[in-house]
Amino acid sequence: MNSIIKVLSDAIYYNLIREQRYMLFVQGLGISLQLTFYSAIIGTILGLFLALAKLSKIKIFERLATIYVDVIRGTPVVVQLVIIYYAILGSSSLPKIAVASIAFGLNSGAYVCELIRAGIMAVDKGQMEAARSLGFSYSQAMTYIIIPQAVKNILPALVNEFIVLLKETAIAGYIALDDLTRAGNIIRGRTFDAYTPFILVAAIYLYITTILTWMLGKLERRLRESD
Amino acid sequence: MIEVVNLHKSFGDLKVLKGVNTKIEKQEVVCVIGASGSGKSTFLRCLNLLEEPDDGEIYIDGVSLLEHKKDINRLRQKVGMVFQQFNLFPHMTVMENITLAPIKLKGMRKSEAEEKAMELLHKVGLPDKNDQYPNHLSGGQKQRVAIARALAMDPEIMLFDEPTSALDPEMVGEVLNVMKQLANEGMTMVVVTHEMGFAREVGDRIMFMDEGIIFEEGPPEQIFKNPQKERTREFLGKVL
Ligand SMILES: Nc1ncnc2c1ncn2[C@@H]1O[C@H](COP(=O)(O)OP(=O)(O)OP(=O)(O)O)[C@@H](O)[C@H]1O
Ligand SMILES: [Mg+2]
Repeated sequence: MNSIIKVLSDAIYYNLIREQRYMLFVQGLGISLQLTFYSAIIGTILGLFLALAKLSKIKIFERLATIYVDVIRGTPVVVQLVIIYYAILGSSSLPKIAVASIAFGLNSGAYVCELIRAGIMAVDKGQMEAARSLGFSYSQAMTYIIIPQAVKNILPALVNEFIVLLKETAIAGYIALDDLTRAGNIIRGRTFDAYTPFILVAAIYLYITTILTWMLGKLERRLRESD
Repeated sequence: MIEVVNLHKSFGDLKVLKGVNTKIEKQEVVCVIGASGSGKSTFLRCLNLLEEPDDGEIYIDGVSLLEHKKDINRLRQKVGMVFQQFNLFPHMTVMENITLAPIKLKGMRKSEAEEKAMELLHKVGLPDKNDQYPNHLSGGQKQRVAIARALAMDPEIMLFDEPTSALDPEMVGEVLNVMKQLANEGMTMVVVTHEMGFAREVGDRIMFMDEGIIFEEGPPEQIFKNPQKERTREFLGKVL
């Protein structure tokens, strides 16, 4: 009994208290959340434009967007991150978090594109026809009629995409960005305890994703009620 | 007011319109009848270029639609359309449904557009529904709002594609009455319909479509009482 308490208190002391190591987790979580936030913004904006390009009647836009989405979705995000870091942005003076945000944003954009496209296509075809018959141009019809309705279809899937994104940013350590997962790694290197830091890391991710999932559930209920 | 010359339209290998020719005069009410799949909707949708014809010409007030595709958004403002499925904008109130186009496309002031919308709602018998969302309306009410929405752009022509086919029988009358009133006020109308009673009473001319053309046309007395062609007689025998 005493020995279990000893093991636990040692684990807590070495992994959290000593040298104020809990600050590594706190800062790491801060980085992970910032990274998710910026990537989500970049991904959403990019995804919207990609979706409009894919739905566009202008063939070249449609082709380019399709190729982009296929390339991104057909390759591992780690590889994309490293390529963007070393080959494209590594030589510039951008901070690492910006580089990573761009990389994850470019990746997420491809997935968001498909969400938005599906959401737009789920809007009844008659809506576009009614709008065009009144004299609205295609882009006016999109702006006033189609996209406001598509948002309802898209929002829940988008929040879900952000949850996925938070977990995906766990590979940011590949470009030596001190995110939450890397904080676990650093502490493991100091304490030679493989379990405790990563169990703590897992618990923190789970805590955040649980909150987001709960918010998603509330959002879905609200949207359903407004129908 | 509308002139259609040698209109052709195919979907892939399926030739739907094979040379439609007709003229529609100002204030005329033309009812289009024919079997399912005979191309009635396709013909109607060509008139405002919701479908793009493969060949032929459409003139509205002497202006060729196909030569002025760039102006199509402005030309469409002259041509109101009412759909079988209503196609009201579900995320907007009745008032917003009606005022959106006049405000955005004609630059009308909001107060002015709303005043006009109220007049139109009175006209279609729904003066107290302005704040409702479409989902709270019955089918007949939705279709009357859809008519008001089209009228808000002051169209010169109204196209109706089976406006009562999606309605419960007890609601058909209220929509037909609004259309009848519109016809009496001198609106130029092209109505695809299965309501033979309406066609007979309100139509100035009946157009029977078959085999991708206007197979037979004429005043209602002639078409309904004394059709010249066997196919027309056969069709009417089935629906009357
Ligand atoms: N967008 C389209 N793509 C392919 N085929 C189409 C399309 N629209 C119509 N068609 C086909 O063209 C033919 C004529 O259709 P249309 O809708 O004009 O007939 P209709 O006379 O209005 O029939 P209904 O009384 O059933 O409404 C049908 O065989 C239909 O399946
Ligand atoms: Mg039809």
